[in-house]
Amino acid sequence: MSRQSWRLSRRSFLHGTGVALALPFLECMEVGATNRQRPKRLCAAYFPYGIVDRKPGTEASEWNWFPAGSGSDFRFNRSMVSLEPHRSELTVLGGLSHPHGRVMGGHDTADTWLTGALMKEGHLENTVSVDQVAAARWSGKTRFRSLVLSTDGGVGEPTRSSTLSFSRTGQPVAADNNPRVVFDRLFGVDPRSREAQRQSMEASRSMLDLVLDDSKHLRTRLGTADRSKLDEYLQSVRQIEDRVQRSQRWLDIPKPSVDATGLHLEADDTTPAELVKTMYDLIYLAFQTDSTRVATYQLGNMNGATSIAGKFPQLLGLSDNMHSLAHGARKGDDGAEPLGLWDRFLTEQFSYFLGRLKDTPEGDGTLLDSTLVLYGSSNSQTHVNLNYPLVLAGGQGMGMRHGRYLQFGESTPMSNLFVTVLQRMDVQADSFADSTGPLAEVLA
Amino acid sequence: MKSRIGMGRLAYTLILTAWCASLSGNVAIAAPDATFVAGIIEANCVACHGPSMQNAGVRLDNLPVDFGDDRRATEEWHDVRNALNSGRMPPRDASNLSTEDRTVLLDWLDAALADSEHASEAAGTVMRRLNRVEYQNTMRDLLGLDIDYVKNLPADEASRDGFTNNGAALRMSALLVEHYLRAARDGLGRAIITGPAPPVFEHRAEETVVDKVKTVNWSNRLGRTGTFAARVPEFPDEGEFVLRITARAEGPPAAPYPRMHVSLGYRADTQTPSRTVAEVDVPDRSPRVFEFRARIEEFPLQSRTQSKYPGLLVWVRNAYTDGQPPPPPEKVPFEENGKLKDKLVWTEDPEFPKIVVESVEFRAPVYESWPPAHHKRLVPIQPESIRDEQRAVRASLRRFLRLAYRRPVRDAEVSLTLRYFETVRPTVETFEEALREVLSMALISPDFLYRIEDAEIGTPLDDHQLASRLSYFLWSTMPDERLMDLADRGLLSDPAALRRETERMLDDSRSWAFVERFSDEWLDLGGVHRIAINPNYYPGFDALLKGDMRRETQHYFAEILRQDDSAMKFLRSDFAMLNQPLAVHYGVPGPRGGDFQRVNIDAARGPGGLLTQASVLLSNSTGEDSHPVERGVWIRRALLGDPPAPPPPAVPNLETGDPDFGLLPVKRQLALHQDNEACARCHQGIDPWGIALEEFDAVGLRRDKITRRSGERVEVHSVDARTVLPDGSEVEGVNGLAQHLVDERRHQFARAFASKLASYALGRSLVHADEGSMDGIVAHFEKSGYRVRELCTIIVTSELFRSR
Repeated sequence: MSRQSWRLSRRSFLHGTGVALALPFLECMEVGATNRQRPKRLCAAYFPYGIVDRKPGTEASEWNWFPAGSGSDFRFNRSMVSLEPHRSELTVLGGLSHPHGRVMGGHDTADTWLTGALMKEGHLENTVSVDQVAAARWSGKTRFRSLVLSTDGGVGEPTRSSTLSFSRTGQPVAADNNPRVVFDRLFGVDPRSREAQRQSMEASRSMLDLVLDDSKHLRTRLGTADRSKLDEYLQSVRQIEDRVQRSQRWLDIPKPSVDATGLHLEADDTTPAELVKTMYDLIYLAFQTDSTRVATYQLGNMNGATSIAGKFPQLLGLSDNMHSLAHGARKGDDGAEPLGLWDRFLTEQFSYFLGRLKDTPEGDGTLLDSTLVLYGSSNSQTHVNLNYPLVLAGGQGMGMRHGRYLQFGESTPMSNLFVTVLQRMDVQADSFADSTGPLAEVLA
Repeated sequence: MKSRIGMGRLAYTLILTAWCASLSGNVAIAAPDATFVAGIIEANCVACHGPSMQNAGVRLDNLPVDFGDDRRATEEWHDVRNALNSGRMPPRDASNLSTEDRTVLLDWLDAALADSEHASEAAGTVMRRLNRVEYQNTMRDLLGLDIDYVKNLPADEASRDGFTNNGAALRMSALLVEHYLRAARDGLGRAIITGPAPPVFEHRAEETVVDKVKTVNWSNRLGRTGTFAARVPEFPDEGEFVLRITARAEGPPAAPYPRMHVSLGYRADTQTPSRTVAEVDVPDRSPRVFEFRARIEEFPLQSRTQSKYPGLLVWVRNAYTDGQPPPPPEKVPFEENGKLKDKLVWTEDPEFPKIVVESVEFRAPVYESWPPAHHKRLVPIQPESIRDEQRAVRASLRRFLRLAYRRPVRDAEVSLTLRYFETVRPTVETFEEALREVLSMALISPDFLYRIEDAEIGTPLDDHQLASRLSYFLWSTMPDERLMDLADRGLLSDPAALRRETERMLDDSRSWAFVERFSDEWLDLGGVHRIAINPNYYPGFDALLKGDMRRETQHYFAEILRQDDSAMKFLRSDFAMLNQPLAVHYGVPGPRGGDFQRVNIDAARGPGGLLTQASVLLSNSTGEDSHPVERGVWIRRALLGDPPAPPPPAVPNLETGDPDFGLLPVKRQLALHQDNEACARCHQGIDPWGIALEEFDAVGLRRDKITRRSGERVEVHSVDARTVLPDGSEVEGVNGLAQHLVDERRHQFARAFASKLASYALGRSLVHADEGSMDGIVAHFEKSGYRVRELCTIIVTSELFRSR
């Protein structure tokens, strides 16, 4: 594993640019990364179809995703053992789920993992996702509002979305899926002069203004169904306008310089191990350089028909695609192992990510101390929208207490966790979706 | 009027009959009897959910059964279904709902809920965003430049029926608009040129380069081993190149053709990045010139500062394979400067089809004139002075906007776009830079990115809208000048003209876009790339065959379309479309080259048609073995137009006590499925279809034994492909299944196929209101003898296609 130095020149550009110091985040940088001022971050990573959950005591239960035991007296089973080194920086959460998800289709819940919405036949509108609420809170502080990644990319279809993130109005936020494109967006350097860039941004803005203007005439000629299509377009154009404006504000601050050696930027869906690792690397780099404070990563969705992630296990030498592994996990004595091996792979990647955050000092702690990481799925077994497998890691500097396996009952909606997460992200939130209060159990 | 349970039963018997008839002729599954449904609910539910008690706030006696798109009722019924499915309701101690009654109730709920969703969908086509393929082709035709406009663009959203040209399913996002803007600026940056004609570079090589890498057999003779590489020392950074390769074939007289694979790239320190230019058969034993053209910037080019291995490399290899690994080279000692050294020598296999490369010529950039034609089309007037520019940009816009928006353009629209020219002109140095920006703006306008039909729903389309429908249906690109001209003159809406144009367009090579996309999405051929074949079960399986499998089915569709043959040939025929690698895979005689040809098939393998094609069989396998459930779902979705309902929530997974589950024959495994009440209801309607295809393994080969493994243990079963279909028909194997489909399901298949084609042509899902129009289309189709090409015309000239 390559852990060479990611060369950062945040300090050097600070010396170079006087104007930039007006920006709040840079003020905080200027006084040095004191604990008081350390950025707070949120990352959520999702995998589809569920995990091994066999009757305890059987041989197959050695592959159970949930630990044996409870409270601080728990033991990781075979597929999760790679988390042992991070044991005191994480909490395994059992028994949580979204009440709305419980009545939705067996493969329909990836969309609502971070939203808690109700999506059923005929009305498939979603609501805002927890990451985007946090992103709005910290929006002005970083070059990018949030980093939204997935294996499939784009938005996908309702209930089979290829993104975890949904805007204030419940519109899917398109995910990037190409590591090279993500890297260039985060760290790529525009070779043109600053003045040329400024002019081109000005031109883009007036172009977008005119397009918006012109589209208003078009709107009057359209019926309702078409209008909502056009509104989706107009919203997209406005978002780009926002981005251009944001880029203009950040134009005088050079992007952090990062050494790409060791990153598999050419990884794609034929090389799952490299791809998943690289996606985590990119999130890590985005956090480390304070390019954004919020990231989501959907490793796959439950669109068996098209998801390009479905074949990952087979490409890694396992016997079946994701969906069939999950189906097979309940069958026979040896049904659990194939899915367990896949769970183990996923956990190892996640553990690698936690390790990178933990190994990076920041202020008088580590990057992990000030980063809340939620990891898991919205199915326990396939088609079962209960007892989500969840790990909450990091954020000890944000008041979290770890080192336990906590079990909740069905009366605790998962949104309670989101209320607490948002509060720890300094969002004034008393409720989220169908929450009934905060989830105080995870706090110190 | 809403009928209610407990009211006169006649009313909802009629209603239920009505929706049963509308379910795409699905007569096979017994229609649940309304009296039954009402009776079951009364007997089992109303005591706790009725007038006297409403446990959990649920009351079922007054819930309407003909709920149409009534949202509240839909939701309540939905909850009822979930409660039943999960076994939560009715409680075991309070009711003894029989399995049979439960099934009747759930079948009714499935159908009625699906129907309600169907009914709530509005008829009429919504604005359709250009999808990936359409965007690529439209940009290519509009700018006159064939480059990749869609790299890094995420996949399109598919509709429930699998189509990616469905306006309602296709979404827009900031990511896309950003991409469109970048692609427009990039494309126009190349299409509109500045400056004088660039210098032309030429290079000719007759001998291969011999690189330092000793383990490669550098040679002009490409057999089992052998690589030819030409190094082009000087080349431009952009523009079209032409590559002329003179080569001939060598080998035994009746041997397969060698296949020439040409790629372009460079040599770096540790790797040689390259991209394929083309792959073609080399059939002739006398030298022949092969010419290839492409844009050089589409290929990996080395950075100009890198100098260790300068130049552009043209690679020529032989892609033909007989599955045998190449023999290792021999070490031959030789003396150099008094020292004894080794060199590697490869022996030639005289039986192996070889390519002999005689020369490689490279030339770039190539242009017929300067400025090139694409520039002159976009800049019809080259302004002489700054005062001339207004006139020039206006002339450019008049022509460009009409093509980009696919309709006549008003002066006001031209003027609005001109406003941007005035804004941007002072900020850039040249007229061309400003013009590129202005045209880029048009390329992110909704008029370009969407197909907009702003007529009232149900009213006829105007001629230009019709031209777009036609060209995106049959070509996946913008209308050509002939269609635009007919539309300008108001001649296109005449049915005779539509028929003529349909024929012309199907004859044109651009109709391959239709063949490729429609067959792909109707049959889900992309599935071959979702399944990874397990090498422990299929050692030596060549993953490249998956592409051939997909193309086999595309060519099969194309052949039926070209011959205007009957759609029944999809179910059963006496021919296949094969190329050399696939014929070897199937173990049948076939063509000598990589191109697909029609081959008469031996009935021993089974009938020709989709059911025996590897694309379908592999896509619906586990990569180790057949997947009868997936195959059953595929048959119901693609052939019968009757997709099973998606899995309900909280269906408990099959937990079998049998530790040897993995070793059981598939029928026994599935029988366990069917013993479980929660699973049985859906699987009874799915699994029997898939069982009939058990004679074929995961890679589409016929078999009579099935090996099952579990850990170290192996068991071999003989194939058992006898099955009882849900309607009670007994069939055996693929022959029986094909016969059943042709004899008993002819109308159902015809309707399913016609509906798929209509849905693709319209770019939307069919809804209730379309059933009448579809009746007419299907009747015509049947009368024509199910001819597929004729069906295209029937659809194009139908009211459905010609109105919004």
